[in-house]
Amino acid sequence: MPVLLRVVGVGIRNKGAFQGQKQFIVVANHNSHIDTMALMSSIPAKVLNRTHPVAAATYFGKKSWLAMISKLFVNTVLIKRSEEGGESTALDALDKYLSNGHSLLIFPEGSRGEPEKMQTFRKGIGVLLQRNPHIPFVPVYIQGTGKILPKGERLIVPYDAQVTIGEAQLVKAKEIELILEEVKEAILALKDYK
Amino acid sequence: MLYFKDLTEIQQMILVILGVLVFATTLFWIWKKIKPGPQVDELMTRTKSWWVMASIFTTAALVHPLISFAAFAFLSFAALRELSSISKNARIEDRSVIFWAYLAIPVQYLFAYMGWFAPFVVFIPVFMFTWIPFLLVLKGHTQDIARSMSVIPTHLMLTVFSISHLAYLLSLPELPHFNAGGRGLLLFVVFLTEMNDVFQFTWGKLLGRHKIIEKISPNKTWEGFIGGIISTIGAAFLLRFLTPFTTVEALGAGLLIACMGFVGDIIVSAIKRDFGLKDTGTAIKGHGGILDRIDSLAISAPFFFYYVYLICYW
Repeated sequence: MPVLLRVVGVGIRNKGAFQGQKQFIVVANHNSHIDTMALMSSIPAKVLNRTHPVAAATYFGKKSWLAMISKLFVNTVLIKRSEEGGESTALDALDKYLSNGHSLLIFPEGSRGEPEKMQTFRKGIGVLLQRNPHIPFVPVYIQGTGKILPKGERLIVPYDAQVTIGEAQLVKAKEIELILEEVKEAILALKDYK
Repeated sequence: MLYFKDLTEIQQMILVILGVLVFATTLFWIWKKIKPGPQVDELMTRTKSWWVMASIFTTAALVHPLISFAAFAFLSFAALRELSSISKNARIEDRSVIFWAYLAIPVQYLFAYMGWFAPFVVFIPVFMFTWIPFLLVLKGHTQDIARSMSVIPTHLMLTVFSISHLAYLLSLPELPHFNAGGRGLLLFVVFLTEMNDVFQFTWGKLLGRHKIIEKISPNKTWEGFIGGIISTIGAAFLLRFLTPFTTVEALGAGLLIACMGFVGDIIVSAIKRDFGLKDTGTAIKGHGGILDRIDSLAISAPFFFYYVYLICYW
C-alpha cells in the first residue's frame, strides 16, 4: 500500500508524529478517498486496529458492499450527517469509541468538496474535543490528492501530493467555536511545512 | 599490479565517477573546516545527493539491461508526474487524457528495448501527438482546449521521448572494434551533461559577470556558459574511450552536449518561472525536483543520440 501510494504521487511527511501515541483524534482537510488510505497507511500498526475513520452513512452505507468493504479494510464508523438528523446519536456513538480507548480519524469539512478549497468545519469535532480534552488531536494538512482522485471520478491519475502530519496536541480552548478555530489554525499552519 | 589501462572502459568510468565524487566531498570538507557557512553546507547537501544519484544511476545502468530500461521508464514516469503536477495549463478535465500520456511510457520503452527504431522514433511525435488532441476533442470541452493540446504533448516530449533515447543507446547494434558499447555511450552523455551543469555553475560563480538571459535564469552568465563549454569539451576529450568517435567527433560531442544541456536547462527554467516556482519538486535534497536535475539531459540526450546515429549508423 505505501509503495502504491508513493507511485501515485502521495508523499507523507513527518510520519514520526504518530510514534508513541496511544490514543488520538486525527483531524484533516479532505479532498479525495486517497486521504483516508494515506492516513491509515501512516498510522503505526499497533494502534491501527483501534483507529476508525468516520464516514457519512448516506455515502458509504448506501450500498451494502461498500459499507462492508470499508468496515473490513479500514474499520470505518458510519454516522448520519446533522442534516439527516443524526447529530446527537452520531456524537454519542463516537464518544463511546473514544471512551473505549479507540482513536478516530475525522474530516471536519464533512465531505470532499472541490480540490484545494477548505470548507467550513462541522461542529462535531468541536463537541468531541470539548468532551474529551485529555485526548490529543493530530492536525493533518493534505494537498493535491483532489487531483489524483477527485470527487465523482473513478480513474486514478498520478499527481504529486503531500500529506503533512502535525504534532499531537491537546486542545486549549473550551468553547466549541474556539476549538474549531484552534483546530483549523493547527491544520493550516502545516501548509508551509518544510 | 593492476593498471588503469587494463580495466575495461566501463570499470575505468566507474573509477572516474568515484574520483570526482571523492574529490568534491574532500574539497567541501576542507572548505568547511577553513571557512564554514551556509554556502558550503548547501554544496555538501548537493554532493551527498550526487552520491545517491550516482550510485542509483550506475547500478541501474550497469547491472542488467532490463533493470536499466525499467529504471529509465520510471524516471520518465516520475518526471512526467512532476511536470503535470506543477503545470497550471492542463485543465482538471484533462486528467483522463494525461492518463493516456502515462500509458505511452511502457510502449515507448518497449520499442526502445526491442530496438525497433522506426516505431520508437514515430510513436510519440506522430501517434501520441495525434491521439492526445483527438481524445481532447472527444471530451468536448473547447474552452482552453488548444492550450491542453500543446501542453500535454510538450510534457511527453520533455519527459518521455527525450529520456527514452538514453535507454535506446543500450539497444544500438554493436560496432566492430568498439568495446564500451551502448553502456559506454550512456555513461558518456549522462556524465558529461551533469558535469556541464556543474562546470557552468562553478565558472559562473567564479567569474560570472555578464548575464545571458536575466529574465529567465538570473544565474546564467556568459562566463559560466563558455567556461562550461570548454570544460565539457575537455572532459569529452578525456572520456573519448567510452565512444566509437574519432578525437574530433568526440570534441564535437562535448560541444553539442554543453550547448544542448544549456538549452534544456533554460527551457525548464522558463516553465518554472511561468508557474512562479523555483524548483519543480522536492524529491532530491539540495537539487529540488527530479526535473530540475534532468532538465539538461532532456535535450542533450536525444541530440547526442542522433549525433551517434548519424556518425556511426547512417
